[in-house]
Amino acid sequence: MNLLSGIDITAGALNAQKTRLDIVAQNIANAQTTRTPNGGPYQRQVVSFETALMRQSGSNGPGLQSVRVGTITADRTPGQQVYNPQHPDADRDGLVTMPNVNLSYEMVDLITASRAYEANLSVAKNARTMAMKALEIGK
Amino acid sequence: MIDPVFQSGNYELARKLLDATALRHEAIATNVANAETPGFHRLDVSPDFAQQLRTRMEAGDLAATSSTINPHLVEDLNARSIRPDGNTVEIEHELLAMNRNAVEFDYLSDVVSGNLKQLRLAITGHA
Repeated sequence: MNLLSGIDITAGALNAQKTRLDIVAQNIANAQTTRTPNGGPYQRQVVSFETALMRQSGSNGPGLQSVRVGTITADRTPGQQVYNPQHPDADRDGLVTMPNVNLSYEMVDLITASRAYEANLSVAKNARTMAMKALEIGK
Repeated sequence: MIDPVFQSGNYELARKLLDATALRHEAIATNVANAETPGFHRLDVSPDFAQQLRTRMEAGDLAATSSTINPHLVEDLNARSIRPDGNTVEIEHELLAMNRNAVEFDYLSDVVSGNLKQLRLAITGHA
């Protein structure tokens, strides 16, 4: 047992949520990118989380699990096709395939991630308060 | 030699419960961290810990047997999932539990603290 109980678990979660925010930023930034090194338009990236065992609390029973970013995968949904013959990436019929980034989805993801970040932060703050209180025992 | 002075029932009980509170905070940290992990089941301190404490308290041999009673974590089987991903964490519930737990911790550490202060007063004559 450490002094700031569970702070390492929270740290993992903060890190994971921050990665998610970074990916949201990347998706929004590339909402109009029609050319990527792999060819074709940018594809929206999706983060998924997985548990990471921190430590076992006793000999039996479940352990304390932190969270980490499992995989970052590309969303394979086809993007919208826009008629724009002047565009350098337009095909023979003048259609441009745009990235499959949906701003509404990204904004929802952004809010969810930042609220989750705040929730974890308040757990960290609470751990600190508890540790300070524990240090005052006997004073 | 000083051990018997520390073995008042309340002190021992508060000490044990303080351990449980610290462990519960870790469980809550785990739950909040995994609020979005698919299939995760929320953790909590096992309810039989309180039951064991109560039994020992009533039997009056808490001080002697307290080292054998330790809180441990279990998956909360009463928590139901209303989400398609099977996760049983409700963030509001966790934050409330965390605040409640913090108050409990404050109170218990005050009890332990008060006990030690009393002891010091008895030894030195001033707090």
